[in-house]
Amino acid sequence: MPGSLEQIAQLAVNGLVAGTVLAVPAIGFTAIYAVLRFPNFSVASHATIGAFAGYVVNTAWHWPAWAAVAAAFVVAGAAGVVNDRLVLRPLRPAGALTTAIGAVALTIVLENVVRFVFGNDLRGYDLPIRRDWQWGPLRIGPQQVENLVIAVVAMLAVFVFLAFTRTGKAMRAVADDTTLASLKGIDAERVARLTNFGGMGLAGVGGMLLGLDTSIDPLTGFRVILSVFAAAVVRGAIAGLAGAGVPHGGRLRRHPARADAAPARPPR
Amino acid sequence: MNGRTDVENYLVAMATFACLYALLALGLNLVWGLAGMINLGLVGFFAVGAYVSALATKRGGVPIALGIVAALAVAAVAGAVMALITARLRGDYLAIITLGFSEVVRLVASNEIWLTNGTDGISGIPGPWRGRVSPVAFNVIFLVLAALLVTVVLGVLERVRHSPYGRVLRAIRDDDQVAGVAGKHVLRFKVEAFALSAGVLGVAGALWGHYTSFIAPEVFVPLITIYVVLALTAGGTGNNWGAVLGAFLVVFFMEATRFATGWLPGLGPVQIAALRESLIGLSLLVILRVRPAGLLPERLPRVEPPPAGEAAR
Amino acid sequence: MSFDAAISRRTVLGGAAVLAAAGLVAPRAGAQPAAIRLGTLTPLTGAGGSYGPSMRKAMEWVAQEINAAGGVLGHPIRLVSEDDQTNPEAAVRAARKLIDVDKVAAIMGTWASAVTTAVAPLCWESKTFLTTVSGSDTITQLPHQGYLIRTQPNTHLQIGKLAEFLLALKVKRVFTLAAQTPFAVPSHKRLEEILPRGGTEVAGIVVYDKDKTTFRSEIDQALRSKPDMIYLNGYTPDCTVLMKELFKAGYTGGKVAQGYAVNAKLLGSLPREVTDGTYTATPSPAVESAGYKRLARALGTDDLDPYSCQCHDHISLVALAIAHANGEATGTAVRDHVRKISQGNGQKIDSAVEGLKLLGHGKAINYEGASGPCDFTDAGDILDCKIRFDQAQQGKFKFVKMI
Repeated sequence: MPGSLEQIAQLAVNGLVAGTVLAVPAIGFTAIYAVLRFPNFSVASHATIGAFAGYVVNTAWHWPAWAAVAAAFVVAGAAGVVNDRLVLRPLRPAGALTTAIGAVALTIVLENVVRFVFGNDLRGYDLPIRRDWQWGPLRIGPQQVENLVIAVVAMLAVFVFLAFTRTGKAMRAVADDTTLASLKGIDAERVARLTNFGGMGLAGVGGMLLGLDTSIDPLTGFRVILSVFAAAVVRGAIAGLAGAGVPHGGRLRRHPARADAAPARPPR
Repeated sequence: MNGRTDVENYLVAMATFACLYALLALGLNLVWGLAGMINLGLVGFFAVGAYVSALATKRGGVPIALGIVAALAVAAVAGAVMALITARLRGDYLAIITLGFSEVVRLVASNEIWLTNGTDGISGIPGPWRGRVSPVAFNVIFLVLAALLVTVVLGVLERVRHSPYGRVLRAIRDDDQVAGVAGKHVLRFKVEAFALSAGVLGVAGALWGHYTSFIAPEVFVPLITIYVVLALTAGGTGNNWGAVLGAFLVVFFMEATRFATGWLPGLGPVQIAALRESLIGLSLLVILRVRPAGLLPERLPRVEPPPAGEAAR
Repeated sequence: MSFDAAISRRTVLGGAAVLAAAGLVAPRAGAQPAAIRLGTLTPLTGAGGSYGPSMRKAMEWVAQEINAAGGVLGHPIRLVSEDDQTNPEAAVRAARKLIDVDKVAAIMGTWASAVTTAVAPLCWESKTFLTTVSGSDTITQLPHQGYLIRTQPNTHLQIGKLAEFLLALKVKRVFTLAAQTPFAVPSHKRLEEILPRGGTEVAGIVVYDKDKTTFRSEIDQALRSKPDMIYLNGYTPDCTVLMKELFKAGYTGGKVAQGYAVNAKLLGSLPREVTDGTYTATPSPAVESAGYKRLARALGTDDLDPYSCQCHDHISLVALAIAHANGEATGTAVRDHVRKISQGNGQKIDSAVEGLKLLGHGKAINYEGASGPCDFTDAGDILDCKIRFDQAQQGKFKFVKMI
């Protein structure tokens, strides 16, 4: 029946649309995971921070949408660098899972910092909402197409950066073996800073895109965080890569079946 | 005065909640502190136990003790299945997947209305002697019961820790390849540890239901997992006594912040609430930073050579 | 927040008692006339966080007004407030503290149905009165021995009136998009019971998980049945998404939602073209009530949300019931007296201060609040309630009719 075929096609489009919103923060999550080797659950609150940063510049300063997205990237990225330096970096020697637990704690603290400053009220951007395009039986929104473009661009940018730039190669080296990288004169700290800036910046952009589709409040990031993790896991598993956009080559990651000695240990 | 309750009753109730958190922390300690597998979805097993015992006693009419045993069994099976599925995954993947598991449990509890009564939840869950004694007496009885269970679980887990079995778990935690090379059936140990741990979490859930008489999907949110992780980290990962101490500290801390808010003038209610919640996260961060081994650090039962990988730190 | 220094002194002492953890008896109030202790338990964090703060503010304002006018028979009201975190576990601990340490006569303002159901047994066992805004029908069916009233109309009443309104609009096909709540399916069943009688078809229902970021497939399913009216039975965050997506999908038919979900804040956060035309249903007083207007002025808003109005009535009812019981500030006194001031042939009043004055003169009163007439059945449900229907026009609500 053509009717049900159309329905399936539309469901696929809807799924893609839902996925692209999650893709951007998921890329941020996997980028950090690939380099710093711990699941940084605080992408949730950094997404919220990005949504609020975009909200402030859009509604209070009347910046246009693209500038709000840029602000979301920069503010969330900067917050990511600061939070990592102050909170998570000191925990890293204790192992990946200790750091992950620290990231969970961090995300609760940040969510409540946002709540402390902005309260619980729901907010929205001062941007028009556009009708969907109708292509025959299928419909898709301009916003969703833009989300898709942003996601693809972000993915490409991460890929190109990691594969072709000197810094990107340094990042991969750090991801591969921190000790070896430092022996080769790569500044692991600088790499960590860059990774956090880029990764959390993407989380912030993702938060802003989420805010466009849903609403902006202290729980904007937290509501979707499980789907973001799921997206990241699926992406990692399907691609067999150490995260989105990271190409194969060399000993990029340890065999997934092998439990890492360091991460799998509780603090002692 | 006309059946009213007093501060003692509050302290008894909070001690009971602390005992339930202690069970959760002990369950987590077995799998994380001893065997080195993270379980960020422990609230899911807590929920499974709560629903099993509530349904068995309220719908099935079985005695409460049997309901608790059923909760233990079903949660343990769920834990074993989880461990089998995730056995080949690395620790950090386990963190993500267990977190997902707890959400799945919550979704099932919300959607399978025929079984769980959906978001309405199950009310009127029986409690031991509830209704036959005064509410204050019930409160005391339940505290004794909960404390007894904590003692039993603590005793069992201490036995495990000191036994050769516990040594194998620690060896797997420190390096499961070495343990495997040493001839240990690593998967079997992991599955057993995860199952036993999930069983303990299930018992805690069953007790929660029988104590408060009501469960609903909204009870079982990730925040509870975070409280328990905080309890174990604060008390001392790997140390069963530390798990119990940490649980009492967390409940004490959560309750003490209620009274402390009176000292903060000039803040709105939402700001105070935000401050209270962030204090939980902040204290966890401070402990991880200042005293990562917790207040009662793990003491190994006997002198061991430093485990492999120690030097790398 | 505290109203006088005595509160913070008390809480400090209470805190010290617990910090000492020595089972100390709470310090008794000092020399001043014994205060009437009442508790508020509203969500300040979690999913209900956008509703709780103004609910609590409404209650604080009433307490202030009563105290400024001399209190309840000379006894000042001391409000002790806790955050239920929209979580039953946290709420049970908070309620225990309110009951055992603060010894409140009533706990007011619980929002989530799960929180109310978790807290209710503690209340009736300790003979503490509980007033709630939760919507689940099952709440008043609990064995609460009279220690519970709710001001939110149950689905039978509320959806009955909504159906009446839809029939008057002569809509042909109604589709429901409902968040997963205890009242989602009962509401739908009630619509199915009434609408077909007037020739309106109930096209279907989709129950969704309210934390999803997009409901496009749910909306596609709704639109396939070609409805000319969609009933959005959710809360503010998910209704925000649904409204946007219905607009994007090019849907031009009618929309109707609960007033607590599609509220002034939602209208403020969305472009007009997205919200215009949406009807809202809000339990409401029969006339443009003076109590409502005063509360709106006090909270500095044009559009009070229904929950704040209901909380305004909670504390007013409790205070009046205590006054009617000659100042006996216990849950049992409130239970036994609340219907003697909320309904009957007494003089109609819409503020607690006015009612307290009249009670002082020995007059009978009938409280009609900011949320409605506040008459209760024996089970604790609203007896009858006018539902006010508004329509969003140019980003503002315009009154349509009262049923």
